[in-house]
Order: sequence, then structure tokens, then C-alpha cells
Amino acid sequence: MLHAKIVDLTKEKIKPENAEEFIASSKFGASIVFYGTVREDNENKKVTGITYDSHDDLVIKSFKEIYEEADKKLHIKNKSVFIEHVKGYVALGETSIIVAVACPHRSEAYDLSRYIIEEIKKRSPIWKKEHYKNKDSEWLKGNPIQTN
Amino acid sequence: MKIKLELFGASRDLSDKNFLEINIKEKSSIKDLRKEIINYVNNKFKGNESFKKIIETSAFCSEDNNIVSDKYKIIKDQKIGIIPPIGGG
Repeated sequence: MLHAKIVDLTKEKIKPENAEEFIASSKFGASIVFYGTVREDNENKKVTGITYDSHDDLVIKSFKEIYEEADKKLHIKNKSVFIEHVKGYVALGETSIIVAVACPHRSEAYDLSRYIIEEIKKRSPIWKKEHYKNKDSEWLKGNPIQTN
Repeated sequence: MKIKLELFGASRDLSDKNFLEINIKEKSSIKDLRKEIINYVNNKFKGNESFKKIIETSAFCSEDNNIVSDKYKIIKDQKIGIIPPIGGG
């Protein structure tokens, strides 16, 4: 079971309770909720916030692919996964992504949570523009997407 | 042919709008489109090296939301998304 969404911060907020509600089930004995938040420094620069940009359709497609791959690569079929990533401005300490997973056992839940966030970092078309205390801002360099 | 190039991430700095309109020849490929965008940067931004690097390292996305290679043939007027190097989370 998968929930995948881009949360447009000009319209709504990202809500941890939605994640916990989605993955709650007596079928599962292990749940992990991962939060990505805006950190106060990056490469010796004082960060005040990040603007996230997203190709929404491709991002949702990538979330679905990552979820389906977990069946084949990690052999975790029985699972519940909630993924939301924001777009728009996120202030220091606020949440940019929630990855919540629930599985029957803890080893599967840890593997799955780590797999999903690492694959999102590699493959999902999301960009960050950092804003600094000295009022400068810049798009972070990122990693090129592989083409066939 | 007319391409509506949808801008994302660092490529948004190429325009005040969310897109660029680029004219390309019939039967052009993504490789040709990339050259046209670099020509645009040469003309509009005096060959800004930072912008050119973004374009050189970007992937492209077709109207039906597939990442396409440089060999992909563009056969009609359409929307193409430019996908600069990524890094969310």
C-alpha cells in the first residue's frame, strides 16, 4: 500500500499525523517515520531556509517505481509506505519530506526506509535553492539524472 | 517546430516565466534542442558559463513524462521539460 504526494506549501502543510494514520495497522509490528528537515548550515554557510522545486508528475512516478522495486530488490511484499515531499519555501528546522514505512518486522522496516530515502535522493526530480543569512541564495548543484 | 521548454530547478534562472519557447528544425533530436538552448544562452546571457553548464548536464523529459536520451526525435510541437541535476530530500 502506497501513498505518494507532493505537498504544495502555498496551498497546504505537510502533516506528520497523516503519515502515522496511513501506516497504522495491527498487521505490522515495526514502523519507522523519517523526517527530512532544513539544517542550519551547509558548506560553511548559514542557511535560513530552502525553496524546493519539483517536477510533480515525474516525482510521483519515481516514488511508485521505488516502491515497486522494493518488492524485487528487498523482497518486502507486505508493507505500507507513505511518502510526501514539499514544494515551496521551507524555513529552518521545518520538514521537507516524510517517509513512513510499516512492515511485519523491524529489519525489513529499517531496510525499506533507508532504501526509499536514498533512491529518492538519486532519482526524484526535486531541486533545492538555499537561502543564506547574508541574503544570498543559490540552487544546489545536485546529481545529473541518468539517461539511457 | 515550436518547443515549450518547461523550466525546473536552476534552469528557472533562464527566464522570468516558467518556460522558454524554442524554435527547432523538423526532425530535430534532444541533442539539437540542447544546442538551441545553448545558442539562446549565448545570445541572451552573453554565453554565461554557469547557465551553459546547467544545460550540458541536464536531462530532458518528454510530454508523456519519460526521461529521454539525446537521440530522441522530436516529431511535433510539444512541451519538453529540462531536468537539471537533482537533489531533494
